[in-house]
Amino acid sequence: MKVADEPRYLPLRSSRHLGRTMQKYYLLMRYQHLWGRPLKRPLAWVTSGAPVEILRALGIDVFYPENYGALCGARRAAVELCRAAEAAGYSQDLCSYARAGIGAVLRPDLAPAGGMPRPDLLVMCNNICGTVLKWYEALAGLFNVPLFTIDTPFIAADVEEHAVDYVRTQLRRLIDDLERFTGRRLRPAELERRVALSNQAVGLWCEIRDFCRHRPSPLNAPDLFVHMAPIVVLRGTAGAVGYYRRLRDEVATRVRAGLAAVPGEKHRLLWDNIAIWYRLYRFFRLFSERGACFVTDTYTGGWAAALAPGDPLESLARTYTTIFLNRPVEFRVRQMVELIRAYAVDGFVMHANRSCKPYSLVQEEIRRRVMNETGVPGLLVEADMADARVWAEEPVHNRVQAFLENLELRG
Amino acid sequence: MDLHYYLGVDIGSLTTKVVLLDEEGGLTARAVHRSGYRGGETARRLVEELRREQGLAPEQIIRTVATGYGRVTFPADREVSEITCQARGMAHLFPAARTVIDIGGQDSKVMRVLPGGRVADFAMNDKCAAGTGRFLEVMAQALEVPVEELGALAEGAGGRCAISSVCTVFAESEIISHLAQGTPREDIVAGVCAAVAARVASLAARVGVEPEIAFTGGVARNRGVVRALEAELGRALLVPAEPEITAALGAALIARTLS
Repeated sequence: MKVADEPRYLPLRSSRHLGRTMQKYYLLMRYQHLWGRPLKRPLAWVTSGAPVEILRALGIDVFYPENYGALCGARRAAVELCRAAEAAGYSQDLCSYARAGIGAVLRPDLAPAGGMPRPDLLVMCNNICGTVLKWYEALAGLFNVPLFTIDTPFIAADVEEHAVDYVRTQLRRLIDDLERFTGRRLRPAELERRVALSNQAVGLWCEIRDFCRHRPSPLNAPDLFVHMAPIVVLRGTAGAVGYYRRLRDEVATRVRAGLAAVPGEKHRLLWDNIAIWYRLYRFFRLFSERGACFVTDTYTGGWAAALAPGDPLESLARTYTTIFLNRPVEFRVRQMVELIRAYAVDGFVMHANRSCKPYSLVQEEIRRRVMNETGVPGLLVEADMADARVWAEEPVHNRVQAFLENLELRG
Repeated sequence: MDLHYYLGVDIGSLTTKVVLLDEEGGLTARAVHRSGYRGGETARRLVEELRREQGLAPEQIIRTVATGYGRVTFPADREVSEITCQARGMAHLFPAARTVIDIGGQDSKVMRVLPGGRVADFAMNDKCAAGTGRFLEVMAQALEVPVEELGALAEGAGGRCAISSVCTVFAESEIISHLAQGTPREDIVAGVCAAVAARVASLAARVGVEPEIAFTGGVARNRGVVRALEAELGRALLVPAEPEITAALGAALIARTLS
């Protein structure tokens, strides 16, 4: 296959399959109340870090408002939804997924993809942030449905057993509560099967990410951001496994053929934080047109942690408590330094995402420490993941250009 | 044989600057003018005037680099960010400088530079022009003082009036109320300069201040701000004679390195 002279974006064949997969998912969710009710399958809205394996094992279907927020961002519908929430009194300083999500409930006429299907229950785990607790409390009030919470204590240093025990106890209680709610008993074998399915998908996702250690990288960050949707919304299903098997095969083919996501790859970069959804391709083109490829990132790696073998509840408790966003600065610095070394990275870009406080507020410190430890230059870009009103084109371009000029001078 | 020249063009938010260097990198000519809303046009006109003044044929300007916000509007061999250009220009003027502070019309930036002018790290103001040239213009207008005279006025200050607003627009209201209370203009100006210096010093701390420290950009002409910044940083600053042209100078120096 002939490589173009000018760096351009190399699309994945699997992207069409992604489109179909997500379309099918949203369609099924939209009409879940029709086909789910006769099957006695309730619909739960869950946070992205919730232990869904338990819900799936009990025949509960799951919907992810955060994923819907990303979709709204990408479709440029989030601004109007946020304004609807703000008009109802929610602060503009709140997470834009929360504002867009609440806006979509208050103004379904503004909500894309048929809006969000009404939940029968809500399940929140605060491993990702504290905002979700209040967001889901608001939703519980709006829908008058039960809210189930899993509180994962922040890991300030080492993982302590009493923290894992505390979460494990809550998972046990969650199972009891959900058994009562559904009128079904959780079969241990079914939970194990769901855990195994999660792990299979996670293993494939890790393989896919690992392929990007190759020079040149077969994938650029936008590919990872776009293709991570199923690992979130289809976690614990056979569908996710099938999806990632196919993607893994395509990426493996690229590696064998030496195909680069960014032809003439000159700089290998690391991305930190959630994507800028409303500007995904245009933003990364600023880099790819100068031969810079984002070979890895910290965000999509969040779904690359396997559940340990042994007692599923213990394993779930440990994995969901120890996600990177629930860890201190030292851990986050270590994670980035290791990625920089493993992927032979020349520079990194951190998206100071106004919405995501736990992810963003420590970035200046992380940036400084990572630069000092690796000698690799890092850039901080201020924006928001879904609220396009926060996007300022010229200042961002200016900083990105200065950063790339610096990389080019280093040679 | 016709001599060759290198052109640096800096099209900023408030002013456009052009610098012409000879083959040895010596400064031949420079010009500064208000950008207006068509910086590219202003730049073209300035270059034409300069060229005619120096009696040069167009072909004698063999390489051009454009920088500043309006850089894409000017036909140049390359457009380079003003961060890179500023670092290059200041390293040329002050080889000992390791920290460069630049306060322009609406930008304030701090760069840590390596010998030779490569940028090690930088920080800029984001979405807020408080503490920039625009801030000083607004204050000068409220005080009915030409902005060039702010520095001199600050020298006569007996005290210093604290300005608490972080927003330029609200700070203007604060100043008006101070004036109404009879606070001497000198004291208000000293407060304005101190506010700018405090803001910039915070920005500088983020990249880490390393001596020697250089200060450039249009605002560096303001002796009041220079003094206030020296007080904040506890060090004398290296200030170029013509601070507004240093980025254009850097652009011209880069033009000289292009093949």
